[in-house]
Amino acid sequence: MLAYLAKRVGMMIITMFLIITLTFFLMHAIPGGPFTSEKMLAPEIEAALNAKFGLDDPIWVQYINYLKGILTFDLGPSFKYPGVRVNDLILDGLPVTAQTGFLALLCVAALGIPLGVLAALNQNKWQDTAVMMFATIGVAIPSYVVATVALYFFALKLNLVPTFGLDDWRGYILPVVALSGFWLSFIARLSRSSLLEVLGQDYMVTAKAKGLHPFTVLFKHGLRNALIPIVTVLGPVVANLLTGSFVIEQIFALPGIGRHFVLSISNRDYTTIMGITIFYAAFLMVMILIVDMLYMLLDPRIKLAEKSK
Amino acid sequence: MSNHPLLEVKDLTTSFFTSRGEVQAVRGVSFDVSPGEIVGIVGESGSGKSITCMSILRLLKSNGRVVAGQAHFEGQDLLKLAEHDMRKLRGDDIAMIFQDPMTSLNPTLTVGEQIIETIIAHRGSSRKAARQRAIELFELVKIPEAASRLNSYPHEFSGGMRQRVMIAIALCCDPKLLIADEPTTALDVTIQRQILLLLKEIQARLGMAIILITHDLGVIAEVADRILVMYGGMVMETGSVDTVFARPNHPYTQGLLTSVPKLRTAHKERLRPIPGSPPDMLRPPVGCPFAPRCLRAMQICVGEVPPIFEMGDQQTHKAKCWLHHPDAPTNDEGAA
Amino acid sequence: MSDAKTSIPSKNWAPARLGKGEAEYIAAPSLTYWQDVRQRLWQNKPAMLGLTFILFLIGAAFLGPLITPHTYYDQDLKLSNIAPILEVYEVDDGQGAPTYFFMNSGNFKLYETNEHGALKSILRAKKKDLIKKRHIYEFGDQQVFVDFSQLPARLLDAEENQLAVYGTKWNQTYWFGTDSLGRDVLVRQLYGARISLTVAFIATLVNFFIGIFYGGISGYFGGNVDNVMMRIVEVIATIPLTLYVILMMVVLQSGFISIIVAIGTVFWVDMARIVRGQMLTLKNQDYVDAARTMGAGTWRILTRHLLPNTIGPILVTLTLLIPSAIFIESFMSFIGLGVSVPMASWGTLTSEAVETLRAYPYQLFFPAAAISLTMFAFNFLGDGLRDALDPRLRT
Repeated sequence: MLAYLAKRVGMMIITMFLIITLTFFLMHAIPGGPFTSEKMLAPEIEAALNAKFGLDDPIWVQYINYLKGILTFDLGPSFKYPGVRVNDLILDGLPVTAQTGFLALLCVAALGIPLGVLAALNQNKWQDTAVMMFATIGVAIPSYVVATVALYFFALKLNLVPTFGLDDWRGYILPVVALSGFWLSFIARLSRSSLLEVLGQDYMVTAKAKGLHPFTVLFKHGLRNALIPIVTVLGPVVANLLTGSFVIEQIFALPGIGRHFVLSISNRDYTTIMGITIFYAAFLMVMILIVDMLYMLLDPRIKLAEKSK
Repeated sequence: MSNHPLLEVKDLTTSFFTSRGEVQAVRGVSFDVSPGEIVGIVGESGSGKSITCMSILRLLKSNGRVVAGQAHFEGQDLLKLAEHDMRKLRGDDIAMIFQDPMTSLNPTLTVGEQIIETIIAHRGSSRKAARQRAIELFELVKIPEAASRLNSYPHEFSGGMRQRVMIAIALCCDPKLLIADEPTTALDVTIQRQILLLLKEIQARLGMAIILITHDLGVIAEVADRILVMYGGMVMETGSVDTVFARPNHPYTQGLLTSVPKLRTAHKERLRPIPGSPPDMLRPPVGCPFAPRCLRAMQICVGEVPPIFEMGDQQTHKAKCWLHHPDAPTNDEGAA
Repeated sequence: MSDAKTSIPSKNWAPARLGKGEAEYIAAPSLTYWQDVRQRLWQNKPAMLGLTFILFLIGAAFLGPLITPHTYYDQDLKLSNIAPILEVYEVDDGQGAPTYFFMNSGNFKLYETNEHGALKSILRAKKKDLIKKRHIYEFGDQQVFVDFSQLPARLLDAEENQLAVYGTKWNQTYWFGTDSLGRDVLVRQLYGARISLTVAFIATLVNFFIGIFYGGISGYFGGNVDNVMMRIVEVIATIPLTLYVILMMVVLQSGFISIIVAIGTVFWVDMARIVRGQMLTLKNQDYVDAARTMGAGTWRILTRHLLPNTIGPILVTLTLLIPSAIFIESFMSFIGLGVSVPMASWGTLTSEAVETLRAYPYQLFFPAAAISLTMFAFNFLGDGLRDALDPRLRT
């Protein structure tokens, strides 16, 4: 287990290094410097800015410097906001993104799985049909459409919730719903099919034939096994909740990291784009690692596969 | 044999209701099992033998339903029992072993847990006592290093060992009736014998009755006292193993016996497979289900299901075939 | 059922006349795999509905813009933000010649139409009274006030009575209305569908080929080649792909080709894995050995024996890849990284509509409905295909 963990962390560091390198060189492959697009700048000012941010150094020196910065958790200065560091932007947006993201994840797990279970246990009955209908809608309609339509009806038309900001608990409702909608439906569908698959397994008949209580059969034998494929997708779910938040924060004008990210894209603030990308990637790696650990706890067969390698 | 059968099944009829229509898997099956007896049910796949047992234990898939019939176990009709009481019987008085030990054990729980939970569910014993009992059971089914193997997962066992685990689980509450659904089919030939002998040995020691479902006549010959030949959801012939094997009275049984290779025959005989394939139970034949494949089928066989005739030789020997009707033309070929 | 004792007429004891092969006939009729697949797919109503919608959409997207009188880039600022459904009022100018018009509730302007709802032109206000918040229009000797001192704005006649609606008419000139630059929403919608579908199809095709190629090689050769190639896939799979598409778009600058390149080169990982998995299982099947024994070469085995048998899961992945490509494209366009103006895609149309959401909510309706319906259609088709190809997976 420990060896496996070490191996995974090693892989993670290599992957992170690749991502950083890729991101760095992609950003520096953009024709023109970050300040060329601005018409107002006189050449000497641009030169001064380039010197200030070290952009006149050879590219590999910049790369080494950037790597050094990352080792000390410093993502460098923002090109667009004088005196602001990328770290500050991330820390500034983190609480909002983390709160909405966590609430959305909670919704996905705490509603998606029970809905799927409900559907599977009532296969082909009205509960199943209702859940599947809801899930089909949720999977088909893109989050930004849900967000804008909900914004129009619930905030503008009915005035039930504020149109922007998180000053009030009601402000969280629409962003969280829009953010979790797709994955909630996805997890509901997955839980349903996964549980149905498990319910058809021979060992479920064995469990019943042993005379166990229906709850034991369902939870201990059924759900535990059905959760395995669900847990494996939780990593990607977190990743997609994060990227989904770009649009959602934009629509609801939430001051999160996603909004900083989208703003930095339209501002061509390359260090911020780079920094936030790397931050996201690192966060995701850790999440995927956690999910994998969880997965190993649920499925004893994995350990053996790793031992034998 | 005792006069009071342990299990008495009467006119059991089970159907599955699918999108394509009603599949009549079991059609009026009757038989009984006395305490301590080993009854073998033989038949091709789809003949309804497994469904019969699943109906008795009420473990049918959700689209399957017992349409008619009774199954009395120690006097009470299992088919009318409340689910709560039925659950108490399963794994306790009636236990079951399944065909494929690879898939019948839960892959995510240790085998020990899978036994212990059963003991606790029925006996209410402490975990420690249950564990002790589990070790005894492992020793009974001859799993080496019983105590340490309890903590292993199913995937760490071989197929034969897993089937031993399944048997241990089935035995954990000293069942009066053990239903073994093709317990050796999925195993290697050498392992098959070991498991059969183990079952027989345990039966001799603990004295429970066994219903052994198989499509292998050799298995029946080796361990069973009585045989039930099923085809098309019906019992075609029944009797003691010795009688039925010596004097098969149904063309289907005869066909089955001649399609099995024998080592000790005087002259080289050709194996004779039964031509054709089993009936589609969505639209079963109106008459005898075997009639379309029967070399001796008569007009009446196609039009009407034959009643059960008692054979003269032994009281329990019966066959469901028109050939045994008093009016039937005598044709000695094959029939004894 | 007759009793064992009753006697039975002798003719019943005659041997049954079973035709040759009768015994074999009893079994249910068997279909080939593909016949079976086709039958199951035909019977799947949502999937067929989805397919019909997709075909209709493709037809509309490619033929529609050719037959409409408007183009996706023609602007008419005088006729901006016109709704698709108009509340038409009638005013008599005193000489018996009626004028039909409607009010744009977003900018309080009046537009003249004919009585069926075809647009004529914008009407000029005689006087704008900004203190009392009303515009005064004159039709002959008739006066009409647009009173926007309180919202929603009202139309009043000379006696301060609210005007009666002549009729609610469908906009005959711009069926789906116009956007904030006075462009026809319908044609932009169709054009957007064309862009979105083209991007999705080409990007999916690119993914498909990369995936088949990569997964095929990895699975076919196995061993170390497979190990290395799958390690690479593992690393790629941990990179959040949407982020990568965003970075690509930032580097390539937004545009039609860029978005195809960005999406096309990123989402092949699933395809590669599935193809590899299929290859690995199929490689060891007996018929491949049989083919090899008969002297078939690598290429022949790959194309004639393995690919046709891997096609099922690939097809399903493909149909489910298209909607995600549509989604990513619209997502990118929505955050301003997709196709560039004046090109339109469902994403840009939606984000343009969001800007004017308060005043002209109907502009959101069409792109939102279009993309949602298309996603439904592809999802239904993909699910149907999966069920049809592998009934075991049917849930």
